[in-house]
Amino acid sequence: MAGYSVEERAAPHSLEYRLFFKDAAGRYISPFHDIPIYADAGKNVFNMVVEVPRWTNAKMEIATKDPLNPIKQDVKKGKLRYVANVFPHKGYIWNYGAIPQTWEDPGHKDENTGCCGDNDPIDVCEIGSKVCSRGEVIQVKVLGTLALIDEGETDWKIIAINVKDPEADNYNDINDVRRLKPGYLEATVDWFRRYKVPDGKPENQFAFNGEFKDKDFAVNVIKCTHEHWKALVAKKTDGGEINCTNLTVSDSPFCCSQECAKATVEAAPPCKAANPIPPEVDKWFYYQKN
Amino acid sequence: MQRWGSLEDAEGKYISPFHDIPLFAGSKEDKEIPAKRSKTIGTEVLLNMIVEVPRWTNAKMEIATEEPLNPIKQDIKKGKLRYVANIFPHKGYIWNYGALPQTWEDPNHTDDVTGCCGDNDPIDVCEIGSKIRSSGEIVQVKVLGVLALVDEGETDWKIIAISVDDPEAQKIHDIDDVKKYKPGYLEATVDWFRLYKVPDGKPENQFAFNGEFKDKDFALEIIKSTHEYWKALLHKKADGGTIQCTNVLVSGSPFCCSEEDARSIVQKAPVPVPGDSVSPQVDSWYFFPK
Repeated sequence: MAGYSVEERAAPHSLEYRLFFKDAAGRYISPFHDIPIYADAGKNVFNMVVEVPRWTNAKMEIATKDPLNPIKQDVKKGKLRYVANVFPHKGYIWNYGAIPQTWEDPGHKDENTGCCGDNDPIDVCEIGSKVCSRGEVIQVKVLGTLALIDEGETDWKIIAINVKDPEADNYNDINDVRRLKPGYLEATVDWFRRYKVPDGKPENQFAFNGEFKDKDFAVNVIKCTHEHWKALVAKKTDGGEINCTNLTVSDSPFCCSQECAKATVEAAPPCKAANPIPPEVDKWFYYQKN
Repeated sequence: MQRWGSLEDAEGKYISPFHDIPLFAGSKEDKEIPAKRSKTIGTEVLLNMIVEVPRWTNAKMEIATEEPLNPIKQDIKKGKLRYVANIFPHKGYIWNYGALPQTWEDPNHTDDVTGCCGDNDPIDVCEIGSKIRSSGEIVQVKVLGVLALVDEGETDWKIIAISVDDPEAQKIHDIDDVKKYKPGYLEATVDWFRLYKVPDGKPENQFAFNGEFKDKDFALEIIKSTHEYWKALLHKKADGGTIQCTNVLVSGSPFCCSEEDARSIVQKAPVPVPGDSVSPQVDSWYFFPK
């Protein structure tokens, strides 16, 4: 799985910023559709696309509605979105990203949460020591999952660890996280419960009372979202505005050529130095927990 | 590579941040303070603070008390550049951290409260405002309270203060206001100082007053006595050992030197170069049993 690289376009922390992906041969691909879900299916090792490095605030996401699905910064009310620092946390408290070739189908009501999918690939919180880079593709061991209901939509959060983490061999299921990183899972629930409150949104809810489910459960959830994705790229499900353009999914009606992919990338502005992050992003928000 | 930051005053003359920056920045009429709350009837003492470590960073930058002109440099332990550990849930330092100029915790003096001798450094400040400051920045602060840390057996008072420019400075006047507007911050502060050296193999630190914070008036008394110790030091009435008392502006001090001498001290230091990359181990998060 080695060899994925990224190509930056425009300045980080700008509306025009795009992070395009290339495979080991330097061909442009979609991180949503063209990176295999599995690094090692037999060992429940998955690929993960890192969108937000730990301790940063810029809300970077795979652009599901844009051709080739580059990573770009989310925009709300016309402004670049930065996640608040909710005391005692600084930015995101894990490397955060997505598992490729998965999709939480908004046309499908999840039996566990009672809510429809959030129309995105499934999210991952990677708990290893290393602070990864934006756009890095890493291999992760799945350990468990949290059933977040974010603004009324199902939004599973997979808990995983980088296989290259020095302690990775000690982590095989969710209880290992409880034992070896006490407080981390509680902090994770706390973070997801409160992270939008500074923006004026209410606290989020969870299924299962905010309890983490184990590895087997998590792997099953991922497999379901993989099936939903397969139906999407085979045009069996209506993806709405989702862009299914891909380079490698055989039999997909959305498969396109490298020339076409190149044209998409080359239409984006050239790479530039990053814009500064506004100082308001450094504010620490405090409030009593309910 | 070690980095040095020498300080210049407003006229571009080289100065010592330890000795040549006034401790007192003047007082401020503050009509927001109800008369019965403030013993000084609506005025607040403002102090200058030298920022050594910006919030959320790890490099242990310090005023070099044993070098002429006392530039800021990165601390070295066992031959290696020192970075403070990330003590879960914290990331680096959780305040802008620094020192009050013209103060000195005299190691020849046993503190009545802590029963320990001073740590031979200017008195430390934790600045709790929203803005992340830069290393070497001089900030005007209001004192709010103090924590009596006993760090490795030495008295090491931690002044709690806020920048007068902070948007919330209008409503934060004393230690109880910190509890009110930033719940959890003081508890996190005690927690941080208790544990921050444990990853380096040191024991947990201790506190006087059971780790309780004392108020503004108490803090100002502590600051005033460390200011008196400093005056004795600069006038050669106390034994500073290896402390470098070279200064440009303290009239009557036997250690006062000329601008030309100051310039030649700075010119002996290596020219600026881009920083080295930081080892990924600095990003590790340390977890403790609850």
